[in-house]
Amino acid sequence: MSSSHPPIDPAQATDPIRATDNCRYCLMCRHVCPVGEVTKLESLSPHGWALTIASQRRGLIEWNTDSVGALYHCADCGLCRANCVTDQPLPNAIVAARNQVVESGLAPRPLYTLADALAHWGNPYAEQMPVQPTGAGEVALFVGDEAMYRWPAALEAATRLLEIIGIKPVLVGRGRNNGYLASSLGFAAVAHDLIAATIAEVAAVGARRLLVLAPADLYAFGDLAGERLQLKLPEGVVLEAVTDVLDNALQAGQLALRHAEQLAAWAYVDPTHSARIGRSGDAPRRLGAALGGEPLELFWRRERAHPSGATALRFSLPHMAYLLAQARLQDAQRQGAQIVVTEAPGDLAILSEVAPRLGMRVQGLYELLASQLV
Amino acid sequence: MYGSTFGHQMVQSELEEIVGANYVRADEVSRLVYSTDWSWMPQMWLDRGQPTPQPDFIVHPGSAEEIAEILRIANKYHIPVVPWGGGSGTQGGAAPVYGGIIVDTKRLNRILNIDEKSLTVTAQAGVIGTQLEWALNERGLTLPHYPASANCATVGGYLAPRGTGTISTKYGKAEDMVLSMQVVLPNGEIVRTPVVPQHAAGPDWFRLFLGAEGTFGIITEATLQVDYMPESRLLRAVLFSSLTDALEAGRLMMTRRLQPFVIRLYDPASTASVVHEILGYDFEGAYMVIGFDGDPDIAALQEQKAMEICVGLGARDLGRERGEKWWAHRYDFYYPPQTLKLPWMYGTTETVTTYDKIEALYWAQKRAIEETYRAQKIRYIGHFSHWFHWGAMLYSRFIIEQPPADAQEALALHNRVWNTAMTAVIDNGGMINEHHGIGLKLARFMRRQYGESWPFLLRIKETLDPNGIMNPGKTGF
Ligand SMILES: Cc1cc2nc3c(=O)[nH]c(=O)nc-3n(C[C@H](O)[C@H](O)[C@H](O)COP(=O)(O)OP(=O)(O)OC[C@H]3O[C@@H](n4cnc5c(N)ncnc54)[C@H](O)[C@@H]3O)c2cc1C
Ligand code: SF4
Ligand code: SF4
Repeated sequence: MSSSHPPIDPAQATDPIRATDNCRYCLMCRHVCPVGEVTKLESLSPHGWALTIASQRRGLIEWNTDSVGALYHCADCGLCRANCVTDQPLPNAIVAARNQVVESGLAPRPLYTLADALAHWGNPYAEQMPVQPTGAGEVALFVGDEAMYRWPAALEAATRLLEIIGIKPVLVGRGRNNGYLASSLGFAAVAHDLIAATIAEVAAVGARRLLVLAPADLYAFGDLAGERLQLKLPEGVVLEAVTDVLDNALQAGQLALRHAEQLAAWAYVDPTHSARIGRSGDAPRRLGAALGGEPLELFWRRERAHPSGATALRFSLPHMAYLLAQARLQDAQRQGAQIVVTEAPGDLAILSEVAPRLGMRVQGLYELLASQLV
Repeated sequence: MYGSTFGHQMVQSELEEIVGANYVRADEVSRLVYSTDWSWMPQMWLDRGQPTPQPDFIVHPGSAEEIAEILRIANKYHIPVVPWGGGSGTQGGAAPVYGGIIVDTKRLNRILNIDEKSLTVTAQAGVIGTQLEWALNERGLTLPHYPASANCATVGGYLAPRGTGTISTKYGKAEDMVLSMQVVLPNGEIVRTPVVPQHAAGPDWFRLFLGAEGTFGIITEATLQVDYMPESRLLRAVLFSSLTDALEAGRLMMTRRLQPFVIRLYDPASTASVVHEILGYDFEGAYMVIGFDGDPDIAALQEQKAMEICVGLGARDLGRERGEKWWAHRYDFYYPPQTLKLPWMYGTTETVTTYDKIEALYWAQKRAIEETYRAQKIRYIGHFSHWFHWGAMLYSRFIIEQPPADAQEALALHNRVWNTAMTAVIDNGGMINEHHGIGLKLARFMRRQYGESWPFLLRIKETLDPNGIMNPGKTGF
């Protein structure tokens, strides 16, 4: 019997760039692409990037300032793939093209400086080496750089909440980026070293559970590490979101919370990368609802949740990152919210930079929960 | 590239004055990406490393007034203007074959009003289908135009080529949902069609813009009829050993007004290929899915009557699960690599005609294509997916897995296959298209399709667009 579609290119398994041959003429995820949504440009949409890369391979265009600029507009948020029936790894293909651009020395200059900082200091925010873990234990909590330098209140509150339910984790990756930033910008080797260093710490402290504060970390130590860098957590280590752990405790009656008066007309923002990891988003909503009733829902939520700009765009194209943050806040505003709540330190940081301009407030979920402990 | 560098700069600054510099693009990447819509011809060309005609400018207007200004400039300098919604058209309708200005409507993305009493939605033309649907679903409503391209197509793009969606058999084509529209005419005049389509206050001129594919102006806004989300959707699959009996079953369901929302009848070749691959079923014969929706009691009764017809004509009941699975996976057929993909050559030679002719047309087209291109190992598959009280639509396709490597040769062969397919259609009393439109691909068949009425259509075009700026080369104009 003859097949009605061409066979899958077997080379795609080893060369992710080949996924662009599938995506270059497919428009089936354009409706969820956050960058396409704010720019309205076909060239800055999933198939636009795929066609650009595929055309470069065919000699129709070269990598130059314009085309590289376009390539770096993709937020690497994974919405396209999350909404793709055939799971095409387009974000990986775009990143693979960036790897080539970086290797040819054609990426924007400031990105090389940024990569040097990541390679040396492990973070782009402070000239400070990551803090080594102290002690050992079954449960580790990945801190990262955003909770260390951008939004420390989240870490303080999360550790307090965990303590209340009897978990005292060993802190790992204190001040070290989760590897996403370098990977997304096309610096695979730097990303590899960052993730490998955290994995080594997890192994060294003997943890069986690795807790993380944000979906970005779930993605970095899960799919990103495996698919882009062929790395994985030590055998038997389970990766868990702190929100899930707290939600389980809430359901089991181990966490008692008071109603938060200040939490009126609030919307929950699913943090960046939520959609690509297939997170339902029920746990943080239930936790929030325990404080202030049901949240108002953004149009771009749950499986179609747009990123808030807490992606590599913050460094490569800050203007685009702020546009995404603004779009999230305006989405919340349209639903009647004055306050947005989320848990991810990176999202909290960028949203709170933009919120005052729109007369809105941003609240960290962990901090809110910690302030309402009975 | 339009004119000299000087001329190009001049036009660019005039466009920037209208929409703002951020909304005019002329960069290499954008020009490349906007050089092809979803039609096979430019896609194949690019696939083989050959450049295609590119637009000079891509403009994103934010209002009908801005479009009017753009069209005035285009008239002044005689520059082609190509409306662009989602670029998902399969006929080359949005391909900028003569360069010029692409007017991308996606900034016109506001949903202006949802009237829950009259059950209408008023939306700007650039709203993407699925996004509109999500917004309606939040109020328990749906726009019952379900094309497989809802994720990428726009409201304007639904209407301009007269699209048809999966549940059209009950709810009609996209054009049947329109109450009224705002349109910018080629000379920059902004017109609004009457508030409702059914009236007796003069001729039905609003239909001029449905099917004109941007050659008569740019649709900027539409008020569309919506429906409540159905209370129930009953799906069921049946298998016929004879296509003739299956077609008769469909005809009886329609002429007895049982109101199925879907009748999807795969010919034996599709049953053995696509149905097998996407749904995993191994059936010999013609696989048919039927669906009834709305009030559960009424839908169940309608289904029962439909099953009596099917079984009476010798169909085997395959049960509900095999219908529901099709419904759940109905769009999977359109995701790569499951969809047709280069370097293959393919085309959807779909057509529509009355019941007395539809089967003969199917066999004539199948025979003509299979016999003429035997040497190229062509394959022909088809299904009947949109049914009317008077006839049905045949969604037929040809596929050549090893077309010539040379782009020009491949294009020439592609055009020959289309000639064969469309000759079979016209000779057997069909229309050269039912829902993808004419675009560039079928433009050359319009004169034959319309015969002595064609000069009349040409005069309308000349009156509306004397400088011929609107989407030149498309729909035969
Ligand atoms: C995977 C896939 C599945 C498809 N399935 C279906 C289907 O089930 N049913 C169906 O009907 N079609 C289908 N199509 C074809 C196509 O999606 C439709 O024709 C769609 O409605 C086009 O919308 P668009 O916004 O992408 O229009 P475009 O491709 O941008 O434009 C189509 C034509 O309309 C003109 N146009 C666009 N916007 C306007 C406007 N505002 N005013 C005037 N002219 C305008 C353009 O110039 C062009 O000639 C499919 C296409 C793909 C790629
Ligand atoms: S990721 Fe999937 S839906 Fe998106 S362009 Fe690629 S194949 Fe299409
Ligand atoms: S990763 Fe995000 S920004 Fe990039 S193409 Fe996919 S959806 Fe768009």
